[in-house]
Amino acid sequence: MPRNPYSRRLFLQQSVAAASGLALSGCGWRLADVRPVAPSGDSNKLYLYTWAGYTDRALLQRFTQETGIEVVADVFDSNEVMLAKLQSGGGGVYSIIYPSDYMVRRMRDLGLLVPLDHDRLDGLDRLFEPYQNPAYDPENQYSIPISWGTTGLVYNQARLGSDPVDWDYLWDNRSRLARRLTMLNDPRETMGAALRRLGYSYNATDPEEIRRAYEALRELRPAIASFTTDAWRDRMVAGDLFAAMSYSADAVGVEEENPDLRYAIPRSGTSLWTDTMAIPITAPNPDGAYAWLNFLLKPDVAASVTETLAFATPNRVAYEQLPPDLAENPSLFPSEEILAKCESISPVGEATAFYNRYWTLLTSA
Amino acid sequence: MTESVSPVPPTPATPEPEERRSRTQGLGPWILLGPPGLWLLLLLVLPVLVIFELSLVPGIRPGDLVNPSGLDNYVEILKPIYLRVILRTVGFAGASTAICLLLGFPVAYWIALMSPRRWRNALVVAFVLPLWTSSLLRSYAWITILRPTGVLNSFLATFGIPQLDLLNQNAAVLIGMSYSFLPYMVLILYSSLEKLDRRLLEAASDLGATPVQAFWQVTVPQSIQGIAAGSLLVFISSLGDFINPELLGGASSMTASRLIYNQFLGATQNWGFGSSLSMVIILAVSAAIALLIRYGDATPKT
Amino acid sequence: MSQTAVSTQRPSKTDTAYDVELRKVFKVYNGETAVRGVDLQIRSGEFFSILGPSGCGKTTTLRLVAGFETPSAGEVLVRGQSMLTVPPYQRPVNTVFQSYALFGHMTIWDNVAFSLKLKGKTKAELQDRVREALELVKMTSFAHRYPAQLSGGQQQRVALARALVNRPAVLLLDEPLGALDLKLRKEMQVELTSLQQELGMTFVMVTHDQEEALSMSDRIAVMNEGRVEQIGSPSEIYERPRTPFVADFIGETNLFRGRLTQHDRDGLTVVTDAGLQLAVKSQEPWAGGGGGGGDVVVSVRPEKVHVSLYKPEVAANCFEGDLRNIMYLGTHVHYVVELRSGDRVTVMQVNTGGERPKLHVPVYVHWSPVDCLALAA
Repeated sequence: MPRNPYSRRLFLQQSVAAASGLALSGCGWRLADVRPVAPSGDSNKLYLYTWAGYTDRALLQRFTQETGIEVVADVFDSNEVMLAKLQSGGGGVYSIIYPSDYMVRRMRDLGLLVPLDHDRLDGLDRLFEPYQNPAYDPENQYSIPISWGTTGLVYNQARLGSDPVDWDYLWDNRSRLARRLTMLNDPRETMGAALRRLGYSYNATDPEEIRRAYEALRELRPAIASFTTDAWRDRMVAGDLFAAMSYSADAVGVEEENPDLRYAIPRSGTSLWTDTMAIPITAPNPDGAYAWLNFLLKPDVAASVTETLAFATPNRVAYEQLPPDLAENPSLFPSEEILAKCESISPVGEATAFYNRYWTLLTSA
Repeated sequence: MTESVSPVPPTPATPEPEERRSRTQGLGPWILLGPPGLWLLLLLVLPVLVIFELSLVPGIRPGDLVNPSGLDNYVEILKPIYLRVILRTVGFAGASTAICLLLGFPVAYWIALMSPRRWRNALVVAFVLPLWTSSLLRSYAWITILRPTGVLNSFLATFGIPQLDLLNQNAAVLIGMSYSFLPYMVLILYSSLEKLDRRLLEAASDLGATPVQAFWQVTVPQSIQGIAAGSLLVFISSLGDFINPELLGGASSMTASRLIYNQFLGATQNWGFGSSLSMVIILAVSAAIALLIRYGDATPKT
Repeated sequence: MSQTAVSTQRPSKTDTAYDVELRKVFKVYNGETAVRGVDLQIRSGEFFSILGPSGCGKTTTLRLVAGFETPSAGEVLVRGQSMLTVPPYQRPVNTVFQSYALFGHMTIWDNVAFSLKLKGKTKAELQDRVREALELVKMTSFAHRYPAQLSGGQQQRVALARALVNRPAVLLLDEPLGALDLKLRKEMQVELTSLQQELGMTFVMVTHDQEEALSMSDRIAVMNEGRVEQIGSPSEIYERPRTPFVADFIGETNLFRGRLTQHDRDGLTVVTDAGLQLAVKSQEPWAGGGGGGGDVVVSVRPEKVHVSLYKPEVAANCFEGDLRNIMYLGTHVHYVVELRSGDRVTVMQVNTGGERPKLHVPVYVHWSPVDCLALAA
C-alpha cells in the first residue's frame, strides 16, 4: 500500500481517537469506542477496504481516469475482521468499506456508518426493486448493494455418481461422503443449512430448533472433513473432496478447472447474501467515497464488473446489458422459483448465544 | 602543588561529594533499567492489565461499557465443552513436544557429536532453513502431501502399500505442528549437546556403562536444560499454534487459540470470555517459564 | 585407612606374568601414524610410566589399553586376554582422566557409586565400597557435594576413588597430576605411590614430566614419535640411556656428535664434528659396529664433569674453555663453559665451599672416560 506523508497525521488522529476510546470515564470505559473524525483534506486519494476479488487494476484505473482520484484497495476475508479493524482504530484510512447485509445492520446499530445523502447519489433507482429497500437496510439509508449471491454445493459428479438436488442428499449419502465434504466455517451458514433441511428458517430463534439443527450436524459430522470457507477449491479440483458447501461467487469457474465439477443450489432454498458499500464514520475522504459509489452505480461499470469479476449485480440496467451466457448462468442468477425460497441471514439477537454454543460443541467435540 | 598548606583544618562539610556520589550510584541501576522497563511496561504489562480488566466483564462486545463485575468469564471456562477444547489443545501441544523431542534429539545428537566438525554449521542451517518460509506455506505443503490423492499416497501406491487418509485428522495436525517446531527443538538441543564434554562419555564407558546406559545416565542429564528449554519452547508455540489445527485439522479440531480467535474476530464476539481464556493461557505459560528458570539450573556443572 | 579396603581380586594364580601387553601396535589417524609398532609388557603389580614429550603417542597408547581407540594393527592384551573385540565398558581397567571427567550432575557419592550401580551391586555392598573408596582418598566428608564445589586437588582424589572403587586389574592414569600446582603435585606423587604399594595394583601412568616418572615408577617406557625408545627402571633410563633421545630427554646431559675412530680393549675413541677427541670407557659393551667410521653420540652428565682453574694432570677428555655462565643453586653450582672448539659444556658441581672460578676466565673441564656413554646415532 503506498504511503504519503499525510498518512502519518491521519495515524496520529486515529491514535488519539483510539486512546480516547480507552480513557476511563465514570465507573468504566467503553471498549473500542470509535468516534467520528472530521473530514481531513486530501481528496485526491481514496482508500477502500473490500473483499478479495471485488476490484481489479482496470477498475481502479478507470476510476482514477474519470475522477482524478487515486484509489487504493485493501482486502479483508471476513466481516468480523473488518469490524474488528475499524473498532480497534486501525481502519481510519478507509473511506469506503464493503460490509455484508447483516454486518450493515450491526455496524449501523454500533453507530459506525454514515447515513448516505441520497441527493449526492445518482442511479439508486436503477437497482432491482428488492434492492431499493432491503430488509437489512431499509431504503438504502446506510449502504448500497454491490453484489449478491446464494450458498450452494460444489460437487464432483463423477465421484458422487448422482446430483445433489437438496440438502437431504448430504445426510442420505453421508457414508459415501465420509470425510469428503466441507462445510462453511460460519455458524449461521452451516447451522442455517441444517435448519433449512429440517424445514425451519435460517434465522430461527427457537432454542429447540437450533438444538435439533445441531443434532443433525452431529449426525453429519463423520462426513465432514473440515469447516472452511474457501480452502476447498484445490482439493475439489484434485478430486480429493466430493462436495463442498460454498458461496456462489466462490464457485464460479470451477467447471473449467475440472469438468466433473458442478454447482447446485439446494431445491428447498439457501441463504441469500448481499455485499454492500458503505461509508464509515471515520472516513477521511467522504467526497471521494461518494464519487466511488456513483461510479459503481453506473450501469456500464456494474456490467463490466459482473463480466470480469463474475459476481451477480443488483443493478437492473446493468443486468440487461449482460451477454446472455452470463445473464442465464443459473449459479450466478438462479431462477425466481429458487430465489423465492431463499432467505437472507439477519441478526437473531439473544439466540446468537445458542448458535455460538452449539457451534463450539460441534467443532470441538 | 602551588598553594601552601592551609592552617584551617578540613571542614566537616566534605562528605557532601561522597553523598552525592552515593545518590547517583543509587540511581544508576534505575537509569539503566529505565528504557527496557518502560518497554516492558508499555508493551507487556499494560496490555496484559487491559486483557485482565476485560476478562472481568461478562459477555462484553466492542462498544460496551467496561465495567468489571466478577469472575463469570473464568467460571465459564470450567464448562466441560471448553475444558475439552483446552484439554485437546494441551494434548496436541504435549504430543507434538514429545514427537519433536523424539525426532529432534537423534538429529541434534548426530550433528553435535557424530558429524564432521566442518559440516556442523551447514547442517544446522539446513535444519533451520524451513523456518525461513511462511508457516502458512508449510501447512499448505502438508495438505498437498497428505490429501487422499496427494504426494504421500501416490508414493505409497507405487509400492502397492495401502493408502493413508491422514488429512483432516488429529494425526495431520500433529505432523504439521511437529514439522513446524522441530527446527527450534533441534537448534536448542544442538547448542546444548555441542557443549557436552565428550570425555564424560568416555569416563562412563570406562566405568562400565554401555552406550545406552551412558546415554541415559550422562548425556541426557548433562543436556537436561536444553531438553527442558526446547520442550518448553515447542510446547508453548504449539499451545498458541493456530494455522496447523485450522488447515490440517478436521471438523472437530477446535483448539484454544481458535476459540480465542472466535471470541475476538469470529462470529461469536465475546471479548470478555476471550480475555479470560487468554489470561489462563498467559498464566499457564508464565508459570511454566518460571519453573524452568527456578529449577532449570539447580545442579552446578563442572 | 585399611589395607584391604580396596584390593584387586586377582586370581590366585595367573598363567601370565603380564597384566598389560602390547604387541606390535600401530595406530593411524587420518593418514598420520600416532603409534608405530609399540611392544610393551607391564608386569602385575608394578607402577609403570609412559614418558615422552607431547605428541609422542603416549596418551594414544593409554587410550588403546582403555579401549577408547582400536589399534590399526597389532594386539592389546590385558591379563593375557586379547582386547581387540572387548569394548571399553567390559575391560577390567579403569582410568583417571587428565581433566578428571567427573559427572557434574551427580554428587561425589554418586560419581563414585556410578560403576557399582551399573554392576547391580547390593545396596549394602555399594555403601561399604563407596565409603571405603572415599576414605582411601580422604574425601568422605565431601560425599554430598557436587564436583563444581571442589578444588582441583579434591576433584583429582574423587576421580581416583571413582576409578579404584571398581577394583580394576589395571589402573590407567592420564597425566593425573598435570593440572595441580607444584606443592600439591609433590604431595599427590607420594600419595599415589604409597596407594599403589598398599593396593598392590598395576598402575599405568602417562606423563611428560620426567621427574615425576623417575620418582614414582618401577619401570618407565620412554616414547618418541610413536615409538618406544627404551624401557627400564628409572636408574637404567637415567644412567644408561640407550638412545641419544633418551639421554637428552631424561635429565640434563652434554651430547657430542662425532665418528668412531678406534675401538679396542681399552674402549672407544671418538672424534667430534668440531674436532675434539673423546675417550670412552663404557661399562656397557659397545653394541655398535667395530672399527672406525660409525656415527656416534657421546653423552656426559653435567654432574660428572669437573671444572678447574688449572690444567689437571689427566690426558683424556680435558679441554680448555671460557666460563660463560654461573648459576648458584645452593647445594650445587651450575656452570656453562664454552670450549675452544665452540662446543658448550654444562657442568654441575657440588658446592664444596672452596674457591669458585669467576666469569669469563679461562678454565679447564675434564671427565673420566668411565663417565661417558657412547650411543650409536
